[in-house]
Amino acid sequence: MQCKDFESVLASEGSGPLSAEAREHLGGCSRCQDFLSDIDSIVAAARTLSSEVTPPDRVWLSLRAQLEAEGLIKEPAETALGPSWWENLGFFLKPRSLATAGAALLLAVTAVFLTHTSRTTNTVNVPTETSTAKITGTTGPSAPGGVTNSPSAPVDVTAKNSAPGPAPSRVKVLKPSPSENASTTLSETEVDVSNMRLAGAGNAQVDASLRQNLHTLNEFIAECEQHLGKHPEDELAREYLNIAYQQKADLLAAMMESGRSEH
Amino acid sequence: MQPMINPRHSLSVWTAGLILFASSTAIAGAPQHQERHFAVKNRPVVVLQNIVNGRIEVKSSKNPEVVVSSTATAEKVAVEVEQVGDRIDISASAMGSTSEPQELQADFQLSVPEQTELQLKTQTGLIYVEQVTGDMKLESVAGDVHLKEVSGYIIVKTTGGSLVCTLCSGKLEFMSISGNAQVLQPALTNVNLMTTSGNILYDGDFIRTGIYTMKSGRGLVEVRFSGNDSFDLNARTNLGTVDNQAAAFLKPDTHTHHSTASRYAHSLFGTVGQGLAKVELSSYSGTIRILKRN
Repeated sequence: MQCKDFESVLASEGSGPLSAEAREHLGGCSRCQDFLSDIDSIVAAARTLSSEVTPPDRVWLSLRAQLEAEGLIKEPAETALGPSWWENLGFFLKPRSLATAGAALLLAVTAVFLTHTSRTTNTVNVPTETSTAKITGTTGPSAPGGVTNSPSAPVDVTAKNSAPGPAPSRVKVLKPSPSENASTTLSETEVDVSNMRLAGAGNAQVDASLRQNLHTLNEFIAECEQHLGKHPEDELAREYLNIAYQQKADLLAAMMESGRSEH
Repeated sequence: MQPMINPRHSLSVWTAGLILFASSTAIAGAPQHQERHFAVKNRPVVVLQNIVNGRIEVKSSKNPEVVVSSTATAEKVAVEVEQVGDRIDISASAMGSTSEPQELQADFQLSVPEQTELQLKTQTGLIYVEQVTGDMKLESVAGDVHLKEVSGYIIVKTTGGSLVCTLCSGKLEFMSISGNAQVLQPALTNVNLMTTSGNILYDGDFIRTGIYTMKSGRGLVEVRFSGNDSFDLNARTNLGTVDNQAAAFLKPDTHTHHSTASRYAHSLFGTVGQGLAKVELSSYSGTIRILKRN
C-alpha cells in the first residue's frame, strides 16, 4: 500500500477501524502516522467547538428592516409588533442595567417602523363634511371606498391631523402612526437618559456636546412633525424626519453608553 | 528621658516632606510619553478607541511597521496597545472618575504603512489622517476630522465635529448632527454627506459615472463644479431656496420627467455637459447654492 492509498482508505473509512493492510502500512510510514495524528487533532479540536450560536433578536429586526427597505418582503412590521409591545418597551427600558441593551433594541425597532413608514406613506384626507376618513396606502391595494393601510389588517384611524373646524361625529379614530410611536418611544427613552449622569465632570465637553445636539435634533424633529401635520404628503420632509429619528436613536444610545462607561 | 526636638529641625523636615509630596503629585499628574513599534507584514488594521479626550494623528511612512506614540496623564489614563498578527488594537480609558477634565486626555500619533485600514474613535480632539490608503471608519463626538490625501472607503461619523477632506479619493460617507463637511479638490467616485444642522461645501470635480448625494436639514449646501464636469443635477428643498449661480452652464434636464418637482417649494433639475455623473442635493430649510468655479 502506498501513502495515497492509505489516504484514500482514511477518507472512505473515516474514523472506523483500519484494515490490516492499512495498519501494516501505517506501522512503517512516519508520514502517514503524522497525517493520521493531524486528522485526530483536528477532530478533537472540532469536538470542543460550541454549537451554533443563535443571533439576538435585534439582528432579525435589522435584517427585516433591510429586507423591507429593499422591497424584498412586503409584510408590514406592524403585524409582528403590536401596540402592547411599545407600551411594554418603556417598562423594560427603565432599569439602568438594561438601558444600553434597550437602546440597541430601540434602534432596530425604530428602523423597522421608520422603514415601514417610508414605504407606506399614507395620505390622510379627513373631509369636514363627510363622515369617513379616507386613507390610501402605497403598499397595498385600496379597498373601494374603504380604509386601507396594509393589505391584511383593518386599521382604526386617528384624527390627530384632522382639518380645522368642527370634528365630524362619525370620523374613525386613527391609530398612532409608526412614526408617532417611534417619536413617543424616543421621548420616553430621552427621559431616562436625562435622569442619568452622563460622561460626568471628567468629560463635561462631551456631555455638553451630546446634550446640545439632542436639543438640535429635538427642535428639528418638532419642525418636521409640525410641517408634516400640515403637509402629510411631503416625502422630502418625511425623509428628513426619519433620518432625524434615526440620529436621535443613535445619539440616545451613545448617551446611555457614555453614562454607563462611567459606572 | 525624651529626646529634645529642635523646632528648626522639625520645620525643615516638614518642608522637605511637603516638597516631596508636591513633586510626587506633579509627577503623577504630568503627561507621560510612550512610543512603541510593531512590525507588520501585510496591510495592517489599526483600531484605536479613545474613551477620554485627545487628538489622534495618523501619517504614513515607508516602513513596514506601526509606531504608536501616546501622551497621556500618568495614573489617570490607561493606554493599552496589543498586536495580534497585523492587527493593532489601541485603547485609552480613564482610570478613575474623580479626575479633572484636563487630566483625562490622551493624544496619539501613529505612523503606519501607506496601505493601512483604520478604525479610530475619540470623544473630543482632532482626528487627522494624511496620506493613508485603505478603508477607514472615523468616529468622534465633538472633535473635528481632517483628512488629507487619503483614499479608500471612508466613513466619518460625528455628533458635532466637522469634516475637512482635502484631495481625498474613493468613496466617502459622512453623517453628523451639527457638524459641517468640506470636501475640497476630491477624486471621489461616490459621496454621501448628511448633516442635520451643519453646512456642506463640495468644491471639486464630479467624476463621470460617480454618484454624489448631499443633504443638510437646516444648513447650506454649496457645490462648486468645473466647466469640464458632466453631471445630472437634482436639487430640492422644502422651505429653503435654491440659489443657482451657474444657470448659464446648466441645461434643463431632458433625461427624465420629474413629476414630483412641483411638490417642493424650490427645486432645480438640470444637466451639465453630457450628464454622466449623478448629483443629488437636498435640504429641508437651508439654502442650496450651485456655482461654477473660475
